[in-house]
Amino acid sequence: MKTNNENMNVSLLAVAVQGALLAMFAMPVYAADAADDEVAALKRPVNSIEVGVSNVSQSSAKFGEYNGLNKAAANVIGNFSVKGGDAYNPFGESGTLRWGMYGSDLGTTSRALGGSVGSQGKWDLSIGYDELQHNIADTYQTPYVGAMGGNTFLLPVGLPRLNNTNLITPAQLQTVAISSTRKNTNVGAGIILNDAWSVKFDYNQLVQSGAKLMSFGSMKVAGGSAGEYVSILANPTNYKTDSINLALNWLGDNAYATGSYYGSFFRDANTGVKFQTFDAIANGIQTQSTMPSNDFHQLNLSGGYTLTPTTKLTGGLSYAKNTQNSAYAYDVYSMVNPVAPFTNGVSPQASLNGDVRTTHADVKLVDQTTKALTLSASVKFDERNNKTASNFYYMNALDGATNHQGNFANAPVSNSKTQFELAGDYRIDKDQLLNLTYNREDVKRWCNQYAIGGLGVVAGGAPGSNLYPAGANCVVAVASKDDKLSTAYKLKLSDAVKLNVGYAYSQRSTTSDANAITPRLSLNGNLTGAVPLIQGVNAGDFRGFYPFFNASRKQQMLKGGVNWQANEKFSLGMGAKFTDDKYDSLYGVKAGNSWSVNLDADYNYSENGSFSAYLTQEHKQRDMTDLQTVAAITANATRLPVPANGTWSDRQKDDDTTIGLALKQNGLMDSKLDLTGDLSYSMGRTGYTTVLNYVGTTATPNFWTCNSPTLASCGSLPTIKNDVIQLKLTGKYKVSKSAEVTVGYLFQQMRSTDYYYNGLQSTFTPNQVMPTNQQSPNYTINVVTASYSYLF
Amino acid sequence: MKLFSKVLISCALLGSLAPVALAADNRNAGKDIGHVFLASAEPAAKPVEVLKAAAKDIVLKGDAKCTVCHDESDSPKVLSISQTRHGVTADGRTPTCTSCHGESIAHLGHKGSSKPPKPDHVFGKNSGTSAAERNGACLSCHKGDKRTHWEGSQHQRNDVSCTSCHTIHSAHDKVRERATQDEVCFTCHKEQRAETHKISTHPVNADKLACSGCHNLHGSAGPKLLKKNTVNETCWTCHADKRGPFLFEHQPATEDCTICHAQHGSNIRPMLRTRPPFMCQECHDGSHASGTPVGLNAAGRQGGMTVAPSRNNVGGSCLNCHNMVHGSNSPAGGFLQR
Repeated sequence: MKTNNENMNVSLLAVAVQGALLAMFAMPVYAADAADDEVAALKRPVNSIEVGVSNVSQSSAKFGEYNGLNKAAANVIGNFSVKGGDAYNPFGESGTLRWGMYGSDLGTTSRALGGSVGSQGKWDLSIGYDELQHNIADTYQTPYVGAMGGNTFLLPVGLPRLNNTNLITPAQLQTVAISSTRKNTNVGAGIILNDAWSVKFDYNQLVQSGAKLMSFGSMKVAGGSAGEYVSILANPTNYKTDSINLALNWLGDNAYATGSYYGSFFRDANTGVKFQTFDAIANGIQTQSTMPSNDFHQLNLSGGYTLTPTTKLTGGLSYAKNTQNSAYAYDVYSMVNPVAPFTNGVSPQASLNGDVRTTHADVKLVDQTTKALTLSASVKFDERNNKTASNFYYMNALDGATNHQGNFANAPVSNSKTQFELAGDYRIDKDQLLNLTYNREDVKRWCNQYAIGGLGVVAGGAPGSNLYPAGANCVVAVASKDDKLSTAYKLKLSDAVKLNVGYAYSQRSTTSDANAITPRLSLNGNLTGAVPLIQGVNAGDFRGFYPFFNASRKQQMLKGGVNWQANEKFSLGMGAKFTDDKYDSLYGVKAGNSWSVNLDADYNYSENGSFSAYLTQEHKQRDMTDLQTVAAITANATRLPVPANGTWSDRQKDDDTTIGLALKQNGLMDSKLDLTGDLSYSMGRTGYTTVLNYVGTTATPNFWTCNSPTLASCGSLPTIKNDVIQLKLTGKYKVSKSAEVTVGYLFQQMRSTDYYYNGLQSTFTPNQVMPTNQQSPNYTINVVTASYSYLF
Repeated sequence: MKLFSKVLISCALLGSLAPVALAADNRNAGKDIGHVFLASAEPAAKPVEVLKAAAKDIVLKGDAKCTVCHDESDSPKVLSISQTRHGVTADGRTPTCTSCHGESIAHLGHKGSSKPPKPDHVFGKNSGTSAAERNGACLSCHKGDKRTHWEGSQHQRNDVSCTSCHTIHSAHDKVRERATQDEVCFTCHKEQRAETHKISTHPVNADKLACSGCHNLHGSAGPKLLKKNTVNETCWTCHADKRGPFLFEHQPATEDCTICHAQHGSNIRPMLRTRPPFMCQECHDGSHASGTPVGLNAAGRQGGMTVAPSRNNVGGSCLNCHNMVHGSNSPAGGFLQR
């Protein structure tokens, strides 16, 4: 910044005279032009076209998961950004028109391209295209014949029936790269009608192709030994989603409002996937359903009103209709009576005619009672009202066992959540802020209609037993109330030091209906269709067991942080957070806790140079206790001898370390060279330890010890390890005003060990899982880039 | 001698200011009058006029009184505001310097060599201006629409100001560009920064998804500043295939995707909070094999096996058969297997 010193003394004047004389006679006339150039450079956008090449040293789907660099190959670098319009005129009369075009990563499958034009304050128009290939696996192998993205997977003729002794050979497998590609095209427009009214329109089409890996379990078929033969196949993602948003905005002196329509229309090109079981090669092709096409229409209204200069009211309303009526994908093997009417006398729809209405309402009042005190009160209501009909469906479980057949109703669950919040922020003085918040959350769950009656006992027939009495709940946790109190305190200890600390306590109380009848009931103690229902179970679960997300719970959170701005160049920050959850459930998730610590340091050692470093350490832990399903006094090959009420516990521990270093040095070599360097390292560890909480006999030791090589039903699983280190160096050299050369180097190494893949190897195959030979991602990749940018 | 000095000084000042006049006139008129000025060698009274001429607007209407000092040599480069939407002077709504910084009488009227007092509103990192005052300058124009729920939002209550995230004078506002937005958000949200380095994430580090893809940082009616009213509505914006409604629904999938998924990153693919069968066993106890402790069996150990481990435990575990965990539209999908 310039400063004017009007108190120059004579000696200074003398110096000024000499300097001025020098300037008068020696400075080129074009010195002023240089200043103009500098001003113009600041006022005009810099357009750029960048072309170059990058080389990737090794193929890896994981490295190239999202960046398009999944192949060991040279890739074209192509980026551009061009802007113009009379609104950029740096010295002359300027207008309001601006336009721009951009393209990025044009040489890869992560390319984006677009443009916009608009007269600011009047209208604007934009169009964009964005592509993303999600590379999922490059080590996947399969004997199945069928293209990735297709919906039919058959086994080659002559493939023998596989089992534990007749393993598949490498020659029978082919490697298939699995990826799912998203192509987004969007168009946007806006018109400002006048000072008060404006209209906005956005349209987006997302076209998805390719596939994602999914397990397909087979039904037992004639000639096969059993069901539940698992093939991991490329489930097609041939989707298209069209989204529209049309909004009308109004802006007044003391109020504003927006009314909008949002529509989203999802279409799946497939209604099912055909696949062949490897249990019985000669037998029929089975059908797996896919995601059904659906529509979503939503009307929204939101706005705000300034009641007084210190009191503001905001609120919103939304109402939506979500429908789905895709034809069912029948699997003749899975339906007990597959020919219509396929439910043994009850005739539900041939398609769902699904209908869900969602409602949202919110209102918030904020009042700055005094300059020091701000109070707010808000209420939010969200409801998912499922109006879909409930009917009975009569189906086989995959194992084909008659006593596992299911005849139960679909449960179109509705839920609502009402949230009430009171908050106060009190500024004790200019350096201290205290806030206190009370939050209440009420959740309800229900079915508007739940089919009653049904076939009752399904093992062998005998329809008519009243498994589903009128008035039965379709959900166990019918309601919950969560009260939360939180407080935070901030203190500016000095200009250099700032502190903050916060604490929150919440208590959720859940009301459960132990006699609720949830779907998939038939595989628990109520299988025999006793009337009344067998007590001692929460629908599908043992009494005392609750899903953690709706169980009664007490939760505490404590956090704090300090920031120290030592001087203009150096700052240091530290933060920590601790949470503790305690669940009231006898079984299920009992407790959880987490903590994290963050350290950050920034050192701006010069105007052109900076160095920063950070460290984050996280820990999460979850403990659960489950009741063994069935007391089994006699052990067999798949079951431990479990005493009645025998329980087991499992602990999950996650520990993650992330470290980052960044260095930036600009203005080297006479302000022509800029350098940046980033180094990051992340280390993730996840482990599970299972403990049996009972002691049995030693009659069958192989079945009892955690070290049993056969069943090994307790002990610690091999730790899941994911280590990634990355070094990124970039140098940008300004050849001239209009040219830059950029050279970059990227090193990334991933070391991953995950037991998930063990059971998928062809050298070791559970006799009912088709091996895929997928591997934990491990790679060491070097990427070198060089590009030339033309600036204008 | 004194007279000689005065003449000399006058000539020298005149000469030294010539380039300034040239520059100023060029900026304001776009005309090259420098040669005329130099050739005419007009009266010595010019310096004052030249100074006035120099004090013409460079970017914004009425910015002359500011840009006379805060010119192209200023750091940060304030004149770059010309490239932003705030620099379109032909748009009648475009502010000038004092619209945001206040009339700043004391700052403008300062004389002498001492450091001038600060403008009325300063927006820097260690500004003495309160967040509310800073935000007031922005919200006087930017109200409604996406900022409807700003008042009382998490960011507002925590003294986050607009300029905590936005760089108003810069042609490249990092928080408005997809490739760099996360750097701004991670300044405060350190855990999320760490989570994006895990093995299973959204494409944030690949610059294909910005935080604002899911969150409305200016306040929202949804939880966690999400753009939509609920978690699921937000997720279904991109993952509409999971929206249904399905014939056979899975309760947590209809309520909240984050019951199972760690949306910012996880060690367990695909962005799961935990690995099946444990994930399933956290909610399912009584049925089938879900009540069975699997321990090492889930690892599918390759050595010393005398009995192949169950397909219930290895690989996807429960999901090997119960694959339609987001819901099934098959009439045989009651077990979420079809």
